[in-house]
Amino acid sequence: MTIDLGFWTLQTLNALQLSMLLFLLSVGLTVIFGLMHFVNLAHGALYALGAYFAASLAAVGGYWMGFFLAPVAVAGVGVLLYTGLIQRMRKSGPMAQVLVTFGLIFALLDLTRIFWGDLALAIEVPGILSGRLAFLGVEYPTYRLFIIVLGTAIFAALSLVLSRTQIGAMIRAGVDNDAMAACLGINVERLFFIVFCVGCALAGLAGAVAAPLLSVTPEMGLQILIPTLIVIVIGGLGSLKGAIAGSLIYGFVQTFGAVLAPQLASVLIYALLAAVLVIKPVGLFPAKG
Amino acid sequence: MFRHTPLRYATLVLLASVALFRVFTAEYFGLEILTEIFILAVLVLALDMVAGFGGMVSLCHGALMGVGAYAYVMLSTIAGIAPPVAMAGAIAITGVAAWVIGAICARSHGIYFIMATLAFGQMAYSYVFEAPIFGGDDGLGGISRLDLSFVGIDLSDSRSFAFFCLAILAAVYGAAVLILRSGLGRSLSGVMHNEQRMRALGLTVWRVKADVFGLSGMIAGLAGVLAAQHIMYISPGLLSWTVSGEALVVVILGGVGTLIGPLVGAVAFVMLKHELSAVTTYWHLVVGCILIAVVMSRANGIFGWLEDRWGARIDRRAADATRNQKTEEVASDA
Repeated sequence: MTIDLGFWTLQTLNALQLSMLLFLLSVGLTVIFGLMHFVNLAHGALYALGAYFAASLAAVGGYWMGFFLAPVAVAGVGVLLYTGLIQRMRKSGPMAQVLVTFGLIFALLDLTRIFWGDLALAIEVPGILSGRLAFLGVEYPTYRLFIIVLGTAIFAALSLVLSRTQIGAMIRAGVDNDAMAACLGINVERLFFIVFCVGCALAGLAGAVAAPLLSVTPEMGLQILIPTLIVIVIGGLGSLKGAIAGSLIYGFVQTFGAVLAPQLASVLIYALLAAVLVIKPVGLFPAKG
Repeated sequence: MFRHTPLRYATLVLLASVALFRVFTAEYFGLEILTEIFILAVLVLALDMVAGFGGMVSLCHGALMGVGAYAYVMLSTIAGIAPPVAMAGAIAITGVAAWVIGAICARSHGIYFIMATLAFGQMAYSYVFEAPIFGGDDGLGGISRLDLSFVGIDLSDSRSFAFFCLAILAAVYGAAVLILRSGLGRSLSGVMHNEQRMRALGLTVWRVKADVFGLSGMIAGLAGVLAAQHIMYISPGLLSWTVSGEALVVVILGGVGTLIGPLVGAVAFVMLKHELSAVTTYWHLVVGCILIAVVMSRANGIFGWLEDRWGARIDRRAADATRNQKTEEVASDA
């Protein structure tokens, strides 16, 4: 293997692209957990729904319609889930929540099969993003660069909102101590609802963005769920910093593991997760110490 | 701690007699379904031991079952060891693996425990999936069943094999009851209800958790050995986390922490699956909705609901008695 600069650049870009996709998914899941202590295993199913909405909308009005409307549609599904199920499950233990959302996975999986069939759908990448771009001496698909830029932009926007705005301060207060936040006059329930919807929309966005890269199948939600859970457990539940750190760790370990030690690649990430859980059972950057 | 109430005895007798009756009367397809129920029941007994009596909700029991299956096949077909020894070896290997997982995860609680066990399960899954000696995606075939011809039983016959699985299930049930009633089982209940207090009493908490997890893993491994002998073919799909998830669904559907409930759940789940998949390919949707309904009803599964109704009158009487007592106390205080 000739190891030159181009090889490292290429793999770094691949790792970054995987990380950013996972970040879009895990940030919603982790903030929902941090704020509401709610474990939503159906987050992956929402991602699959996003991909399907994007595929259907793209067939009608082109890629950008799917890109912008799929998150809105998934947020709508999130509103239904919140008012129908999740609001009632708030006070139950983690086991009941895991099971209800596990049931949701079953139900949503079959619902997508009923509506869209078993066959994989594909989306065309829009013209402006379809080519390749010369970047630091390598040719790289523009669409993948677009994912990296989008993920970085969303990370920047979220960290700005969380650290600089009033609603960000309210969310941080809610994660830290929801009872105290409620006593200070913050409508914690409404805050939960908004955060849940934003989390769902981000999952939908991740689905819409991933759709042209992977084929859209009913199982895609199940396949992405485990990596997403690994990311948030390594990073620590409830924090933005944890989500980005976990995503980057997962992306780089997975990508470079597959290239440098193919036999070990798949076990490597789980071994890393086990090591993190043994040394720091609450993850690297938990929201609460 | 586990106790047999009259209702539990009655359900157990009912289940056992129906199972025996069906083993002797069912046709080929019925026997296959029966065997499937028995093997699933062994697995969910193992899961209920740790989840219902130790608060350790494990998402790696499917993987443990797969480890048992693969260990049996590797020992018997590849290494050429006699099936009885290979069975014992596979159970021991799974037990050790489960003990290590239990020891590592003993510090985690709640959702972290679920995630940690999930991680170990997935680790086993991807290892088996990738390593060439395990046959990868294609799985392994040519598995031999236990040879019991010296007592005149031919296990290649489905009726005998179903009976064999039922006998093992009965033995596993007895073993689970014995374990839960032993000192270890009582310590485990104590740990579930108040870990700090048990630690203060001088108990090595992680050892108790790891020991029970190891024993439970041995039972899961046994289920895997039976599954391998039943289908006579294994694939990495056995270790997938959805198998663990389904086992958990069965435990919840039946009633966690009752031992009998999961047996009821196993019967209900397999019957439901076969009945529904005959009618529609979307049986997951129905099972998902039933699961959501059961969990949201706040009843402890099918059997837990029965127990609640059975014990409701007694409970109400007891509650009335304490309330009267309290009113009297308040009255005397005033």
